[in-house]
Amino acid sequence: MKFTLIYPKWKKLRGQTEFHLPPHGPIVFAATLPRDVEITFIDENLETIDFNDQADFIGISMMLTNQVKRGWEIADEYRKQGRQVICGGIATMLHAEETSLHADAIFLGEAEGRMEQVLDDFRSNRLRKVYDYLTDFPPIDSVGTARRDILKRQLYNYKGIQMVDLFHASRGCRFDCYPCCMSFVGGRQFRPRPIEKVVEELTTIDNNRLYIVDNSLSQDRAWEKQLFREMIPLKKKWCCHPIEDHDEVLDLAAQAGAWFVYQAIFDTSDFIRNRVKRYHDFGIGVEGTILLGLDHHTEDYIRRLIDFLLEIKLDLAEFAVLTPFPHTRAFADLHGEGRILSYNWNDYTCDKVVFQPKQMSPERLQHLYDEAWKIFYREKPQPYRMFELFKRVIDKEMADGSFQGQPRTQKNRKFGRVKLSS
Amino acid sequence: MIEDLILKLKKEIIDQLQVEGVAPEDVDPEAPLFGEGGLGFDSIDVLELVVLLDKNYGIKIQGPKEGPKIFYSIKTIAEYILDHQKK
Repeated sequence: MKFTLIYPKWKKLRGQTEFHLPPHGPIVFAATLPRDVEITFIDENLETIDFNDQADFIGISMMLTNQVKRGWEIADEYRKQGRQVICGGIATMLHAEETSLHADAIFLGEAEGRMEQVLDDFRSNRLRKVYDYLTDFPPIDSVGTARRDILKRQLYNYKGIQMVDLFHASRGCRFDCYPCCMSFVGGRQFRPRPIEKVVEELTTIDNNRLYIVDNSLSQDRAWEKQLFREMIPLKKKWCCHPIEDHDEVLDLAAQAGAWFVYQAIFDTSDFIRNRVKRYHDFGIGVEGTILLGLDHHTEDYIRRLIDFLLEIKLDLAEFAVLTPFPHTRAFADLHGEGRILSYNWNDYTCDKVVFQPKQMSPERLQHLYDEAWKIFYREKPQPYRMFELFKRVIDKEMADGSFQGQPRTQKNRKFGRVKLSS
Repeated sequence: MIEDLILKLKKEIIDQLQVEGVAPEDVDPEAPLFGEGGLGFDSIDVLELVVLLDKNYGIKIQGPKEGPKIFYSIKTIAEYILDHQKK
């Protein structure tokens, strides 16, 4: 069977560097397909879809809310030709009802052990409209090594630098953070993969730099310590979501190659100040994800928050406007209070205000969001801060002998904006 | 003297960064390397510049604070080289 798996494109944030990471959801899904299925993967951010391809069955994998409308267009186009389409992925789960209007089938939940049945149904022409396994998780040891062989690796390369590979060692999240949909998508029970399977997968990845996409590495101390111990000899370098604030865990994480963490920052508390300091004490960088527009955020508060970020020496800051993604507590509150101003999912990019803030007008919050980027990066521009973080990983690699030179074949390019002499 | 160094630096940067279709005289030496209205350098370009300064001028950029001032524009890089080489 020929199966075309499509990852729809979305619009990058204003000013964001135009590089693309190899996606994770599609390669994890691909590992659940029987090996005799011939998969063609198209990342529409980097390639054009050939709607005249010869695939028997079309799969559309969607992660982000601002991917769904494009995903639906693609599904509609294929279905106009009488071809059958199945949609899956996190954004399909968040937008199940709307997505089912555009697909022959939608798959909700995790696909391990379920795709043989779906493909049988397809072959027998009795595809079900909905495969709902949302709360019925497969055994975690059934998660196999992701199919990175379906990626066209040369596409995930920026100026000769190979982008990080994405990888996961666990599913589920015991936290239920206000703006996050992960408890809905993956449940609140932490489900770590067996360490031996994690290590087995890590050894297959032809890349020294990774992004460990687990929701949180602060859920099971014994497992975290074992994981990091096993990772030390592999000499990988990696970024990740928060790591548990515990001396031994942080020390082992650093030894295992922790490069920097994405840490949510939502206030100016000593808790946040100490959290960032602790990472730094162990030589781990911090990219803050700073959420603006919570109900207690006044204009003064936001300005104080930006000063605070500079004070605590955050390495990088990524500002985001609170965005009420479906199936989050933020959505329940703002929708319930009639404060959502746009249900156009293409607006759900985290750089647009789509709700009525409590303390100011939407326009004012939008202005403060733009200001936040400018103020934080005024003294030390973003590219320079990124360089510092990048140099940090190179230094670590040089120190342990794992540095690999980069091919320069794809480096040719023009200046982004050449300012001509007057 | 600084004008000669700026011209040399422009050529070296164009070569090191493998920039196509741009002549040294097209590049404003006082334009910021980063940000709107500037030359649009990114983090990988900075890395290349650091390598270039080390390789061609024996200059190692160490202090985290001085970096953004040195790498403000091609002219500031040239000034830093001249200042450094005098010492």
